Amino acid sequence: MRCQKVREYISLEMDELLPPAVTGDVTSHLDSCADCRDYREDLLLGRRALEATTPELSENFEWKLQLKLNQALQQSAGQAVYPWDEADPDKWGWFRNFGAAAAVGMAAVLALAMFLGPVGGPGGGVNGSDELSPGVTLSTNGGPGSADRRPFLGGNFSGRGLYSPGIQRSVSAAGTIRSGGTVFDRGWSGRNVNDLVLINRLRNQNKRLSGMLFQQQQEIRAMRALLDTSDIKALNLEQE
Amino acid sequence: MNLSRDENFNGQPAPRRAELRDFRDEDLIVMVQEGQKKAFDELVARYKGRLFSFILRMVKDPTLAEELTQETLIRVYIHAAKYREIAKFSTWVFTIATNLVRNKMRQRSRRPRIISLNPAPEDDEMPVDPADTTADPSEGIHREELAGIINEATSRIPEKYRIPFLLREVDQLSYEEIQQVTGLKLGTVRSRINRARNRFRQLIKPMLKNETLLQELEKIEARVAEEKDNDY
Repeated sequence: MRCQKVREYISLEMDELLPPAVTGDVTSHLDSCADCRDYREDLLLGRRALEATTPELSENFEWKLQLKLNQALQQSAGQAVYPWDEADPDKWGWFRNFGAAAAVGMAAVLALAMFLGPVGGPGGGVNGSDELSPGVTLSTNGGPGSADRRPFLGGNFSGRGLYSPGIQRSVSAAGTIRSGGTVFDRGWSGRNVNDLVLINRLRNQNKRLSGMLFQQQQEIRAMRALLDTSDIKALNLEQE
Repeated sequence: MNLSRDENFNGQPAPRRAELRDFRDEDLIVMVQEGQKKAFDELVARYKGRLFSFILRMVKDPTLAEELTQETLIRVYIHAAKYREIAKFSTWVFTIATNLVRNKMRQRSRRPRIISLNPAPEDDEMPVDPADTTADPSEGIHREELAGIINEATSRIPEKYRIPFLLREVDQLSYEEIQQVTGLKLGTVRSRINRARNRFRQLIKPMLKNETLLQELEKIEARVAEEKDNDY
């Protein structure tokens, strides 16, 4: 038997897979061939060396494994589709759809209102002037519906809005508010921050003036009441 | 490792960990399929070392080898329901491990090797490995040297020979199991193992001439035998 063939058989013999028919031939060859004997010894030594140098795992191997396994389970649970998920229909789906549609509608109406701007009531504005307090004059052009729109004090106002297209108003107040200039061409455009600031300022001023007016009216009423209840006639100094 | 609570097994109380030692791998994986986490713990205890040893000798990097070992065991647990007893459990596990290793090695071969432009760290920056004062320091050095030579020699065996060789020598899989894991013909498995053994022998020749290392090998074998006797 040739050495090359015997060496193939040696590999099988190490794994106890050598066919019994050739065992005798291999043994007799090994008895007579020192090289093949050494070869066999070397293979067995290599196996021993592999076994002796078995690497060791780190101490926290199982802890890390548990951590990773938990993460993997969470991930796979997140991806899983359960039968009860499909069996339960979306009972509130119609409500959510309705709510969404209503919200969109409201938003559209609001956007339109902001674009066209708030103006006086139907039928036009007010033409006239109100004496609020000394130094403060309010004059408006427009229909009766605009009388309650005093926040828009502060200059000549001509607006065409959602409620009353074509209304022309002019509002002026002497004193702190500059009069004469046109503030808005088409009501409040809603596009300028300065518009908002001005509106707010005018609203506050309006509140303050309304308060003063109310106070003065109260004082006048009180004075009239005093006059009515006293029996004192006007003194005619000339008679005396 | 305690993964989580254990459910009852077919209405019966779950067997304790010590009792599980008598079960076959195939029985344990069936128990895992039925929700017994302790059976998985037992499988981990049986396979973690074998898997790590095989994977480390394939990839050479201990950290990566540990990660791939964990990945293999995680896949075993997650895909436990897919296991059917048409093949041995060990074949299934090592097929998963071999595929993972092959993929990783393919990825690494595609990725260009990065060379650091930073200078080598100073001696005082190197991690300190606390010395074991009770042990003979030269013994550790010899053992490391021996392990280094063996790992180097293993890594130099071409991959197509190395996989069947390690599955046989390290993990003691039968030729038929290796055939199933690798998908090779039985004759090819035999010849590849034979060639790998011959190549390994040539590579470790220098070690075989070194008396100190041979003595170290004998010492390690004696210690392992002693530990086994103590376990029994």
